[in-house]
Amino acid sequence: MMISRNFGGWFEYGLMAARRVYIYRFNSIFSILLTGVTIYLLTVVWTSAYAGRTEVGGIAIGQLLTYLTITNLQVRFLTPEIDEEIRERIREGQIAFDLNRPTAYPGMLMASAAGAMTGRLPMLLIGLPVALVAGELGAPDSVASGFAYAASLVLAWIIAVELNLVIGLVSFWTLELTGFQAMYRLIGNFATGALIPLWFMPDLVRIIVQLLPFQAMAFLPVSIYVGEPATGHILSALGVQILWIALLVLGIRWIWHRAFSHAVIQGG
Amino acid sequence: MSIMQRLSILGALASTSLRAEFQYRANVVTSIISGLLYQLTGFIVIWIVVDRFNTIGGWSLAEITFLYGMRLTSHGIFYACFSQMFDIDRVLISGEYDRYLVRPVSPLAQLFTRKLRVNCFGDLLGGFLLLGFAVTNIDVIWNTANVILLIGAIIGGGLIEGAVQIVLGSMSFRFLNGQSIRVTTNEVFNLYGNYPTRIFPGVIEYLLTFALPVAFVAYMPASAILGRSDQLIVWSWVPWITPILGIVLFLGAVRIWRRNSVLYQSSGS
Repeated sequence: MMISRNFGGWFEYGLMAARRVYIYRFNSIFSILLTGVTIYLLTVVWTSAYAGRTEVGGIAIGQLLTYLTITNLQVRFLTPEIDEEIRERIREGQIAFDLNRPTAYPGMLMASAAGAMTGRLPMLLIGLPVALVAGELGAPDSVASGFAYAASLVLAWIIAVELNLVIGLVSFWTLELTGFQAMYRLIGNFATGALIPLWFMPDLVRIIVQLLPFQAMAFLPVSIYVGEPATGHILSALGVQILWIALLVLGIRWIWHRAFSHAVIQGG
Repeated sequence: MSIMQRLSILGALASTSLRAEFQYRANVVTSIISGLLYQLTGFIVIWIVVDRFNTIGGWSLAEITFLYGMRLTSHGIFYACFSQMFDIDRVLISGEYDRYLVRPVSPLAQLFTRKLRVNCFGDLLGGFLLLGFAVTNIDVIWNTANVILLIGAIIGGGLIEGAVQIVLGSMSFRFLNGQSIRVTTNEVFNLYGNYPTRIFPGVIEYLLTFALPVAFVAYMPASAILGRSDQLIVWSWVPWITPILGIVLFLGAVRIWRRNSVLYQSSGS
């Protein structure tokens, strides 16, 4: 695939997705408020659980509250919605046009996810104050962990898009995904570590979660931010993310190849 | 029309929507499972926190399970009966509401029976499971008063959540766009209602009691049954009126709905 030839198409596609964020701006703002509601609840519950202790299991209360605030904000802003987009195109039969375009479909979807994410960034003007009021937002542990977090965040976003693409591509086989999708969101939500950091999960649960890619979306980057990198070192934490990116690329190629030959065009 | 006739029409409408949903068996099963899973993730969070830290706000795991089970069952009842309020914007904009106005049954009743969201059965199932686990693990003498309060409060809790959503839904006659507010409010009940309200700082505890009656749904009656009335910010007899409060709030909400519904302007489509 030649990047220079495709770039114009990708750009337009991304721009469209960015605009869509503002068509539904009312919903976008409320979903940020809802994230604030969740952050506040987690702050109250965990503060109550700490019961005045400043530190439990090596994690200070300030670190934990900052962790919970950032993970939830991050999951809100990093959630791509390309699975929904694919499903809609298949349902309406428009997927036929997508598959016939000169640019490969997965590339366009990536562009669309990037556009939606970029379009959402100004919403941080609302998101950050909401997070500050609802939770606690401490500075990164050190300058190094701040920079490493920024790098890790980019990797986390790629993983989020990849996972979302996998779910979307499954729609080529079955349109009725409501149950499957709900399960993905639930397991995803829990396994990112946004509700309970992996430090506090019972061993068995933690091991399962560590074997899944979701923790690379939230727990890994934010654990770097608060200075308790999940794997003990910043570099190995980034390494785990890169490993997941590579594995998911292979997975997507494999699924895409099969999905393409399995595509059913719904007449319309 | 006599009250019996009204009830029998309502029953017929409700059973039609129930049968319509059960035409799609596979969808029914996945919806129930996903409803159940959704609620249980919330419970797993509590379970892990209490497993690690022993209590939340001084409540043990069995006690919070009891609270969670009561709330979830109430929510299931609310969802089974009133979930269509989440679609009111579409009903008004598409002009479907015109049809309700020319039929001899209350438009509100027609709205509630237009469709059934089967994931309410997941909530009810989850609620019963948690209650079943909880009652075998808590120290409560199940005398008549406690049993009546439990059943009354579960139904009353569903009515309280219904009343709040009806009031919010009636705003749609003016603004036609209230979905986000209803969903957010519903989530506040879903998230905050499952925890002992006393873990919140004073101002928020008062807001969750008097501004939005979250604490009345399950926390207060559960406190009374568990012998924790002394921890409440209200007199210890207040939890006992939650079933009646549910009815009163519900009837009040229906009045507000009626008053706002005269503002309906058909979209003409």
